Amino acid sequence: MAKLHELAKVIRSKNAGALLLTLDIMFDNEEAYRKVFDSGVLSPRKIASLYNLSDNQVEIIAFEVALAIKITIPRHTIAGSPGDSDVYGAQQHAPLLDLEITSG
Amino acid sequence: MRPIKIMAASGMLGYGFTEEAFNHGLSLGIDLIACDAGSADPGPYYLGSGTPFVSRIAVKRDLSLMIRGGTQEKIPVFIGSAGGSGSDKQVDWTLEIIREICNEQNIYPKVAVLRTELRPEQLVSKINSGKISPLGPIKNLNENDADETHKVVSMIGAEPFQQALEEGADIVIAGRSSDAAIYAALPLMRGADPGLSWHMGKIIECGAQVIEPREGQDCVIGTIYHDYFTIEPGHPDRRCTRTRVAAHTLYENPSPYELKEPSGTLITKSATFEQIDDRVVRVSGSKWEPSSTYTVKLEGVKKLGFRTVFFAGTRDPILVSGINNFIEACQTRIERDSKAIGIDKEDYMLNIKVYGKDAVMGANEPLSDQNAHEVGILVDVVANDQDTSKAVCAKARYSLLHTDFPGRMCISGNLAIPFSPSDLSAGEVYEFNIWHIMECNDPMEPVRMELIIPNDPPEERLNG
Repeated sequence: MAKLHELAKVIRSKNAGALLLTLDIMFDNEEAYRKVFDSGVLSPRKIASLYNLSDNQVEIIAFEVALAIKITIPRHTIAGSPGDSDVYGAQQHAPLLDLEITSG
Repeated sequence: MRPIKIMAASGMLGYGFTEEAFNHGLSLGIDLIACDAGSADPGPYYLGSGTPFVSRIAVKRDLSLMIRGGTQEKIPVFIGSAGGSGSDKQVDWTLEIIREICNEQNIYPKVAVLRTELRPEQLVSKINSGKISPLGPIKNLNENDADETHKVVSMIGAEPFQQALEEGADIVIAGRSSDAAIYAALPLMRGADPGLSWHMGKIIECGAQVIEPREGQDCVIGTIYHDYFTIEPGHPDRRCTRTRVAAHTLYENPSPYELKEPSGTLITKSATFEQIDDRVVRVSGSKWEPSSTYTVKLEGVKKLGFRTVFFAGTRDPILVSGINNFIEACQTRIERDSKAIGIDKEDYMLNIKVYGKDAVMGANEPLSDQNAHEVGILVDVVANDQDTSKAVCAKARYSLLHTDFPGRMCISGNLAIPFSPSDLSAGEVYEFNIWHIMECNDPMEPVRMELIIPNDPPEERLNG
């Protein structure tokens, strides 16, 4: 069993426009990408529980050509509105770091 | 078709590039020098106030080199999303810099100015005819929203840049523009494959993001051939890697496979990426699906008022351990104290964030039950006018500094305040209220084009 941050090279978050947040998990070898992808841990249900959303608000897209997995979710606050804490959305990745990846 | 070579000077006008990369790029025989100058990432303030988020000095430096290069090689220079958000005020700010450069370089280029700010009556008429719909999780617009809107810009496609070239422009300076369109316009005009043109534009618009080693912004060059395109760095000692180029469509996009543009959608599902030598990556297989309706994205803001902020830290372990209850107690007190000076709860927005607890992630913070040895407290007050926001912020400061809490020993003050004055006026506050798409009758509908020679030619000066 390994944690996601031990297998991935990049785990980042960023705005995809003012209404959405996109989380990219990128790998530097196919084995690690496969292991994470096949484990099924990165499911809409799991992500929804981490980010206080419902399953149908989470979109997960595999991008094999770049050995990457993309997760797109709505922002809780429109970027830069009062109460927002992260205008660029660049620091919302932490809950992903310690996800336990079990072999599928 | 002969290959078409486009140089993106930098990922953002004002973020810079090396002269070495720029000159090497020019020596390859470039057809267009372009640079994107915008982003909505810094938030609604910049569109609302018309303020650039890069410095004038940096923009002038980048533009001077680009314009000199364009004059030398007799090739056009494009700037998209001028001034950051592409509002008329920011376009004029950029135009003024160009005027200065033309004077200094003693040149008389024809400049096409593409203004893309939507007028209030245009917005209302588009709303009423049902031509505007949400782009993501945001509500439908009605006439009220139009009244509340302070500023709205259309994000234009490739066609207005093409029209400017057809009318003989040497320099095109545009308001809010699709990043990729700035680079795709010329290849499309010359009959290049649309899938390749848009995909190339999408990759080079962020400049050096696809370049290694990553040493700040720099020039990147896209070359379109019959059935593929290549990406290479301008700098002779740097390289583009397959992984970086392939990964680039992930960046800041909701999906890496489908990228919506005004005239259609770029489909990258079947694109392939090959490293053809140390420095160059070849891309092929990108597809283009034209859409039946021409749409532009709209970005708009409304004004919310004025902000005052206050920041301080606490190193008291008793306070830190009960910080959530303490903040709650202070919020009640701030409300009461503000009311006592005639400011109702409805007259302001108060946000208090505790750094070291859950300020960054809020309700999503998995470790919010842990205690740090010190925490930072940020007070953010937005009200209709600066005086009201100052008054509420002062009440908040006093309350946080002097309110009792169970077991309190530090009775002379709960906070370490880092500077004097402690409360900072942060000026106007805006909010994105429009993040929609708008159907257009034709690509020029959201654009006002003007052709000018910013530096009057000598003979005209004599005549005048």
